[in-house]
Amino acid sequence: MSVPSLGRPARRVGTGLLTLLLVTWVVFLLCHLVPGDAVSVDLGEESIGHRLPPERVAELRALYHLDQPVVRQYGMWLRDIARGDLGRSFHDGRPVSEKLGARLGLTVTLNALSLALMIVLAVPLGAAAALKPGSRADRWTGAATYALYAVPVFWAGLLLQILFSVRLEWLPLFGLESPDARALGVLPRIADRGAHLVLPVLCLSYGGIAYLSRFVRANLTESLHGDAVRAARARGLSPGRLLFGHAFRQASVPMLTLAGFLLPGLVGGSVIVETVFALPGLGRMFVDAVFQRDVPVIMGLTLLSGTATLIGIVAADLLYAVFDPRVRRG
Amino acid sequence: MASRANLRTGAALLLGLAAVALAAPLLATDQPWLARGAHGLVSPAIGSLLGRRPSSRTAETAVLRAPIPYSPGRVELEEIRKPPSTAHWLGTDGLGRDVAARVVHGGRVSLTVGLLAALAALCVGLPLGAVAGYRGGWTDAVISRIVEAVLCFPALLLALVVLAMSPGWLAGLPDVLRIALVLGVTGWIPVARYLRGEFLRIRGSDMVSAARASGAGHGRLVVRHILPSALAPVLVTAAFAVGAAVLMEAALSFLGLGVRPPTPTWGGMLNEGKTYVMSSWWLSLFPGIALFLAVLGCNLLGEGIRDHLDPRTDR
Repeated sequence: MSVPSLGRPARRVGTGLLTLLLVTWVVFLLCHLVPGDAVSVDLGEESIGHRLPPERVAELRALYHLDQPVVRQYGMWLRDIARGDLGRSFHDGRPVSEKLGARLGLTVTLNALSLALMIVLAVPLGAAAALKPGSRADRWTGAATYALYAVPVFWAGLLLQILFSVRLEWLPLFGLESPDARALGVLPRIADRGAHLVLPVLCLSYGGIAYLSRFVRANLTESLHGDAVRAARARGLSPGRLLFGHAFRQASVPMLTLAGFLLPGLVGGSVIVETVFALPGLGRMFVDAVFQRDVPVIMGLTLLSGTATLIGIVAADLLYAVFDPRVRRG
Repeated sequence: MASRANLRTGAALLLGLAAVALAAPLLATDQPWLARGAHGLVSPAIGSLLGRRPSSRTAETAVLRAPIPYSPGRVELEEIRKPPSTAHWLGTDGLGRDVAARVVHGGRVSLTVGLLAALAALCVGLPLGAVAGYRGGWTDAVISRIVEAVLCFPALLLALVVLAMSPGWLAGLPDVLRIALVLGVTGWIPVARYLRGEFLRIRGSDMVSAARASGAGHGRLVVRHILPSALAPVLVTAAFAVGAAVLMEAALSFLGLGVRPPTPTWGGMLNEGKTYVMSSWWLSLFPGIALFLAVLGCNLLGEGIRDHLDPRTDR
């Protein structure tokens, strides 16, 4: 495979950067919807300004640049982000970047495991359905897809808890580890953590499994009927080699772009799943920040998720160009 | 053939749920349908619908009760968290309120929010998508960039941020309207994206090219040719938008940030189901089934309309 030409990928990175700028606008504008500002505006009991003396409010306003015009505020905010400074939490005064860092690991683990499970389950399911259209496997995955789309994540979580934790008592109900986990050895402790993650991962991935398997089916069906596979079949290749040598290679290209679009769903899902299973990750932190109107934390988390998703989408597009010669030349 | 089944099942589910929601004040009420009072037969159920207060002075004996003879707000402290029984078909909640009555009434909130939010999403998404798809060029580039930027955020996250930051006038609105508006703010993105593609397709179609070649102006093109073809995609997005909004409202209420208690909502009931997940499964199961059927109905209807009007997508 030759090295992809620079033109197109460079342009994609360029539009990506433009979108990143828009992403920061969205975050900033959303968090400045309130006329006045988050410190001094009267939001009732929740607001900081309600509880503090005026001189402390003025101090806080200066700290968060709220005494500046909006455009300058945005500029200062951007400059701070570029330095890795996301501000300090209204709630406990700790740096937001430190708070995010402490909880990032869990949410990333949760999402990575879910993505892996999606691919491991959805690709064979979709392939089975594509190879035998109208078969039992095909109809079953088709019907299950419709049903799973409509199952709310929080309901699925509750039902899984009731079945596997309360009735069968196979898995822990919620939390990150058992109360006595500290006394355990290394391996049992890892097993204990793993057991705590089974239901959350299942919960976070079922929607993606349904979606991805239909997507794999559609794309495989298309490439199985394409010229390349027909030619290979005419040369007498075995069905296995047809599928893995040709059809999959073609179908994997559009699948890449899809991975980028699965990310927002995962982030949104983390908010719910971490609430249902009481996991101390970023999703739970976001809900808490919303309740506390902890604006710096809300902004930091929103920016983080938007940027991560954008990077995912752009990376998928770039890989697409590497794998698909037509795009590369185009 | 499969698409017909989708269309019918979806429409049937939604009509059924809408009928139950509309009839909720009559289906689930502790006022008897018919009662024998001092002046003969009266109907306290219809009376309370018309705003008449139930008379406590005259002794009335119930002749015919509603199928669910409980009001959604009726607290019975000696009946707290009872499993399903002949008295309470779907059990009772943490305040001894009848779950069946609350599920039936909860549908009113969910479907109202869903419809209003979809309307709001269409109001923003339709013009933007249509203009981007029809005009193309710079307009399209600008709108598409904005859509791409907002797409980087999960809808739930955006809705939560707007709720947390909602300015005073928004926070002062009735819950149903407030949530519907917030969900409209986040719901226009998929609408605009899908409609942009559809308008692009319609604009490039032979029919429109032919009309343009025969000298039709912008106005005539849009009104006579493009809008009729665009009706189907608009209906499709509307159906999906309602489903998405119902789901989002439930998610917000589940997190405790949606429609506030004591108004019964499916998401709010599931929130209580979470509290009592160890002991009271019925609090989680039944509101979830209602929510599932509503979202499934919207999705099937949307798919059904799409496949019905566009045979190419029928795979």
